Amino acid sequence: MFLSSAAAPSNSTSISEEASVSSETRFHVSFSSLLAPSSPHHQPQQPPPKTRKKRSQPGNPGRPLSLSPQPCSSWLLISWVRGHIYAADPDAEVVALSPNTLMATNRFICEICNKGFQRDQNLQLHRRGHNLPWKLRQRSSKEVARKRVYVCPEPSCVHHHPSRALGDLTGIKKHFSRKHGEKRWKCDKCSKRYAVHSDWKAHVKTCGTKEYRCDCGTLFSRKDSFITHRAFCDALAEESARLMSAAVTTSPPLHQPLFRPFSSWHPTTSSNPNLIFNPSHDLDLGALQIKPAENDLPSLDHHLPTGTSTSAHLSATALLQRASTMGAMSFTNTVSGQGYDGMMVGDVAAFPMWQNGHRLTRDFLGVAAGETGDDDDDLLLDLVTASSCAPMGDPTKQLAGFPPVTGPWD
Amino acid sequence: MDTLFRLFSPQSSRDLSRNSSSSRSSEPRQIHHQHSFLHHNSFARQREVEFYREECGTEHHLYMDEDFSSSSSSKHFQNPHQPPSTTTTTTTTTPTPTPIFDPADLSLPQDLNLDFASPSSSSVGASGAGRRWSSQLLIECARAVAARDSHRVQQLMWMLNELSSPYGDTEQKLAACFLQGFFARLTSSGPRTLRTLSAASDRNCSFESTRRTALRFQEVSPWSSFGHVAANGAILEAFLDPSSASQRLHILDLSNTFCTQWPTLLEALATRSADDTPHLSITTVVWSASPSTAVQAVMREIGQRMEKFARLMGVPFRFNVVHHAGDLSDLDLDTLDLREGGSSALAVNCINALHGVSPADHRRETLIAAIRRLQPRIVTVVEEEADLEGGGGGGEEEGEAFFKVFKESLRFFSAYFESLEESFPRTSNERLALEREAGRSLVDLVACPAAESAERRDTAAGWSRRMRSAGFAPAAFSEDVADDVRALLRRYKEGWTMRAAAEESEDASAGIFLEWKEQPVVWASAWKP
Repeated sequence: MFLSSAAAPSNSTSISEEASVSSETRFHVSFSSLLAPSSPHHQPQQPPPKTRKKRSQPGNPGRPLSLSPQPCSSWLLISWVRGHIYAADPDAEVVALSPNTLMATNRFICEICNKGFQRDQNLQLHRRGHNLPWKLRQRSSKEVARKRVYVCPEPSCVHHHPSRALGDLTGIKKHFSRKHGEKRWKCDKCSKRYAVHSDWKAHVKTCGTKEYRCDCGTLFSRKDSFITHRAFCDALAEESARLMSAAVTTSPPLHQPLFRPFSSWHPTTSSNPNLIFNPSHDLDLGALQIKPAENDLPSLDHHLPTGTSTSAHLSATALLQRASTMGAMSFTNTVSGQGYDGMMVGDVAAFPMWQNGHRLTRDFLGVAAGETGDDDDDLLLDLVTASSCAPMGDPTKQLAGFPPVTGPWD
Repeated sequence: MDTLFRLFSPQSSRDLSRNSSSSRSSEPRQIHHQHSFLHHNSFARQREVEFYREECGTEHHLYMDEDFSSSSSSKHFQNPHQPPSTTTTTTTTTPTPTPIFDPADLSLPQDLNLDFASPSSSSVGASGAGRRWSSQLLIECARAVAARDSHRVQQLMWMLNELSSPYGDTEQKLAACFLQGFFARLTSSGPRTLRTLSAASDRNCSFESTRRTALRFQEVSPWSSFGHVAANGAILEAFLDPSSASQRLHILDLSNTFCTQWPTLLEALATRSADDTPHLSITTVVWSASPSTAVQAVMREIGQRMEKFARLMGVPFRFNVVHHAGDLSDLDLDTLDLREGGSSALAVNCINALHGVSPADHRRETLIAAIRRLQPRIVTVVEEEADLEGGGGGGEEEGEAFFKVFKESLRFFSAYFESLEESFPRTSNERLALEREAGRSLVDLVACPAAESAERRDTAAGWSRRMRSAGFAPAAFSEDVADDVRALLRRYKEGWTMRAAAEESEDASAGIFLEWKEQPVVWASAWKP
């Protein structure tokens, strides 16, 4: 759940207040700023650990800025996720760790005996055993004053640029493994390869358990027979027609004003009721449907130049999503999928992308499914169906198919 | 079989009953009668088959009489060297088969049942392996044909006629198919029979039936999907190889599997090269002895669906079909616009295409050389493993050559029929369609000259030799592809294994084999210039 600032429903007003209070009109919306609305100058702080654990939030969470008509300063780096605009923390320290460091498994070293640990807590527990004097027990508070964001050391990577830095260390490590690491784990049923052990474990759990249902009603246990059947199925004709029309109808109302960030920063609230777009609806989508939505969107990037096929790649994975019978597709899920689908169609062309054609949200997180291209369907499927069949307030169940969180969300 | 009816005038039922009680002798008249009885039986069965064929098209249950299709492999093997009198006892109990030519009459099956029942009572020394009776009979018959021993041939064929059935167990089916081939051969009507059978199947061919048969076959048996998975894997790796990735890909598809290979490739292409899916064009060449409007309609429908599916997958796609009548080696590959202006990477996919080319006149070498000239990035060859080339000369093989080809056909098609029997459920129209197709192939193999045949398969070693001499080098399948194939085989019933081809010598064949019960049946390989 989003930690709402004082007045939950009236998000728009609170943000504009905060922003206008600030004399520099900084659109500084790290999460911490929302917790301390009173301070005009928002210090970059460590967000409280509790919220960091929420997987449903992006690495650099913040309030959606879609509502605010404030002018912004030119230095502001904007990157946006799932149709919301988030401002990267300009004061954050950008750290580029070396590949060796990223791949290292024991990064917490005890300074007394040089023993390595995978987790900070384990190291602290170990240090207690050294009977240190009191003051040495505390970690120097100065060390963690600055928020650190991490960039990928690989120059050709999307996340090499500071604007696409990832907010947590585990995230960047996993990203580096997935994208640039050797895939040492392999599923024996379908021979898919994984670099990250937790990804592999999650996959093996669900591999072969999924069933695919074609629109014509036939059920398949094998993906390849499903695909071949689908290609020649009579239901194909209606399907593609429906997809095309759905993509077209949902795109217009949402995308235009929202995603011309440098041009639309003028009072347009009244003229764009859709922008507000039911904050509660946004909340819901944000809280619960973030995973599926954000996973839907990036796939649309695949065909930037060819307009009609932007929604078509969505359907490669959407096809498999829809076909999976792990859970029924809820209406909101479909709508959000279509909605975001629509939003993306126009955006990408408008927004100056650093690297053309890359995916946004998933890589922003550094954690999501599909960084390895062939993960698309499976993890996507898991997420979609898991989220669609999970009750609203049960975050753990939502992430059933997702690689489990192994540590603090840092 | 229709041709036989024309050759022999129908006997009256009175004659038939007379024939049935007469003992065999070497008198020409008797032989003639037995011939006609024999042919009548076959003709009647043929009419049954036609009847059932019509039924097929309307989705009726094919197996209306379970007892007639029941397995009778337990019947005793009739030793051909026994005095002929014993064989006639089987027919004395035959009731007058009056309505033989009435397709609605199903009483004929009862005759077969009774026939099978009586051998046990007459109990001729049931020598020989009970289960393999058809192979033994067929081999004996082939030997007699090779030795031009017409008397013996007729004896054996008569026996086969009694014991075989296209609706029985594997043994009976094999016997029936080969018997059909023998008939065609002995009456020198091979090509004509083949044309008739092809026309009959063409009449019943539709997109629905083709789709149903092909997809069901791939669902229950890895026979065709083995080659597809291996070829797709090799093609994808060649195309997506980072050192030479191209944005336009073109596949020249010479196959007889009706594009069932491509949906999985499209899906893999869409998900694997995630950010920028290259444009894919597929040019499928469909060949047949004579132009067929049914096949053209089927391919048109397939093309539409493929295009829609590619749109669904988000792969920029173009699909072309080329219908070629005659030998594939006559096709001019340069007219197909495979390079699309020069930028596309080309892959050539040959599934069962090479053995359709006549073995005479170096036509196979010509085709392979033509493919080489296209400078493809990769060529995938999937062929069925059987040494059926024979003499390669004109005219029907005689003697030893025929016998050799026959034995090999028997071995191969026994494996094929057996695997079909075990993969499909007991009553399956799709399997019947496949068996009928195999029957046509057998008529071609047994009764038609090699030079005009489209069924002259060759071994992996043979094809490898040809590919090498044309300037190709084998491209081994990667570990990933091998794992995919193994995972594929795991999805099917027991009995299928994969084996890599032996790599010892320079001449060795590359690629992998699909084995059914330790016997290699399908060979898949990849080649690079």
